[in-house]
Amino acid sequence: MVMKFEKYFRPETLEQALELLKEYGSDCKVIAGGTDVVIRLKAHALRVKAIVDISAIPELKQVTVGADQAVIGASRDLMSISRDPALRGSQWQIVAECAGHVSSTQIRNCATMGGNNCNASPSADTTPGLLISDAVVNVVGPKGKRDIPIEAFFVGPGKTVLEPGELVTSFTLPAQGERCAAAYHKHAIRGDTDISIVCVGVRIGLAQDGTVNKARVALGAVAPTAIRAHAVEDLLVGKKLTDDVVEQAARLAEQSVRPISDQRASAEYRKEMVYVNVRNMIREAAAKIG
Amino acid sequence: MSVLDNKIIVSFEVNGRQAELLTAPNRTVLEVLREDLGLTGVKHGCDDSNCGVCTIIMDGKAVKSCAMLIGQAQGTKITTIEGLETENGLHPLQKAFIEHFAIQCGYCTPGMILSAKALLDENPNASEDEIREALHGNICRCTGYKKIVEAIEAARDEMNGKA
Repeated sequence: MVMKFEKYFRPETLEQALELLKEYGSDCKVIAGGTDVVIRLKAHALRVKAIVDISAIPELKQVTVGADQAVIGASRDLMSISRDPALRGSQWQIVAECAGHVSSTQIRNCATMGGNNCNASPSADTTPGLLISDAVVNVVGPKGKRDIPIEAFFVGPGKTVLEPGELVTSFTLPAQGERCAAAYHKHAIRGDTDISIVCVGVRIGLAQDGTVNKARVALGAVAPTAIRAHAVEDLLVGKKLTDDVVEQAARLAEQSVRPISDQRASAEYRKEMVYVNVRNMIREAAAKIG
Repeated sequence: MSVLDNKIIVSFEVNGRQAELLTAPNRTVLEVLREDLGLTGVKHGCDDSNCGVCTIIMDGKAVKSCAMLIGQAQGTKITTIEGLETENGLHPLQKAFIEHFAIQCGYCTPGMILSAKALLDENPNASEDEIREALHGNICRCTGYKKIVEAIEAARDEMNGKA
C-alpha cells in the first residue's frame, strides 16, 4: 500500500532533530535504518505526517568501549555492533552476540540498536542482552536529558515510555563485575530470520568458591514486553549451581511466565521452552567463567 | 500549499552513473529503482523485507530496498544486478549461476547474486557456512539452496584464481 506520510527530514545535528520532533510531536516517527517502520508505514499500521531520519547525525552512531562502561549510539547498525572488536571479548560481548541474531545480513546492515528497542517487540533479540547487562537508555527531549533503566523502558508491544518529542541517543552499559559471563539463545524454527518462539538471556557471576553472586535472567516473547525474571535471579544468588539448583531455577522461570498461544507456538510449549532454555543458558553462562 | 513543497531531491550513484531526482518522499528505494530508473532486475516480492528479492548493494553492503525510504538513498552508491556485467561479459557469479543451473524461475536470482557479491567483496574466502549465513535473508522457492551455494563457491574459487 502507498505510504501516507507527507514529509521526510534528514537532520544532520541532534538539535535540528529535536526541533523537528518538537514541531511534529506525536505526528512524526523517528527512523534510523527504517527496517521496522517502513513496513508498518506500508501496511498503514502506522500513520504519521512526518518522518525524521536520524541516520545522518554522526554522534548517534558512535560506540565507545571503556574499562568501566560502554556506550552504544542509538543509530549504530546491528551488523557493526555484532562484529565490533572492542565489544567482542569484552564484558559486554553478549550485547554484540544478541545484535548478531537479529534477522538477516541485509536487515542487520540497516537496523539499529535504538530502532530494535524503540520498536518494543517482546521478541526483539537485542533486548535480553541489554536487560542482563543493566543497560540504561539515554534519552533527550523537550525537558532535557533523562536516563531510563532498560527494564523500565518498555510498556507493552510496540510501546515505550518515550514521550512525544523525545529521542533515544544511546545505551550505556555499566561494568559487570569480575568472574561474570552471559549466554543467549534464540529459539526459533527458521533461525535468525525468524521471530523467536522464546528467547532467553542469562548472566551469571560466581565467587571464587562457586557461589552465585550475580544473576540476571531475561525472557523474550513470553509477555507483552521482554522481562527480567527476578524471582529466578533471587533464587540463584547465594547458592552454588548444583544440578538441583539449576533445575529449580528453570522450573521457577517456567512457572513465572504467562505466555500466549499464537501461530508460532502454544503457551504450553513456550513455557516448556522457557524451562529448557533457562536451564541451558545458566549452565552455558557459568561454563564460560574459568 | 503545493504538493511540490513536500517533494525531496535525492541524488545517488547507481551502477556507476549519477542519478538525481525530485520525488515524493513516501516511496521506497525499490519503487524508485524500478519505476523511475527502469532497473527492473530489482524484484518486488513480499514487500515486507522477508524474501530478499529486492536486495541491492548500497555502499558495499547488501540491503533490502523494499524496507528503505528513497530519502535514505541520499549520497549512497547503489549496485543492482544490471551493474554487474562489464564489457568483458557477465560477472563470474552470473556465469556460475548459469553453469551450475542455480536458477529455475529466476525471481530470487538477482537478490541471491547481489547478497553473494557483497559477501565475496568483503570476504573473498567465505566458507560454505558463511555463504549460507549471508543468504539467510534470501528465499528461493524452486531449487532449494544447494546449487546456489555450489555456484557461489565456484565463483569464489574462480575469482580467487583457483578454478
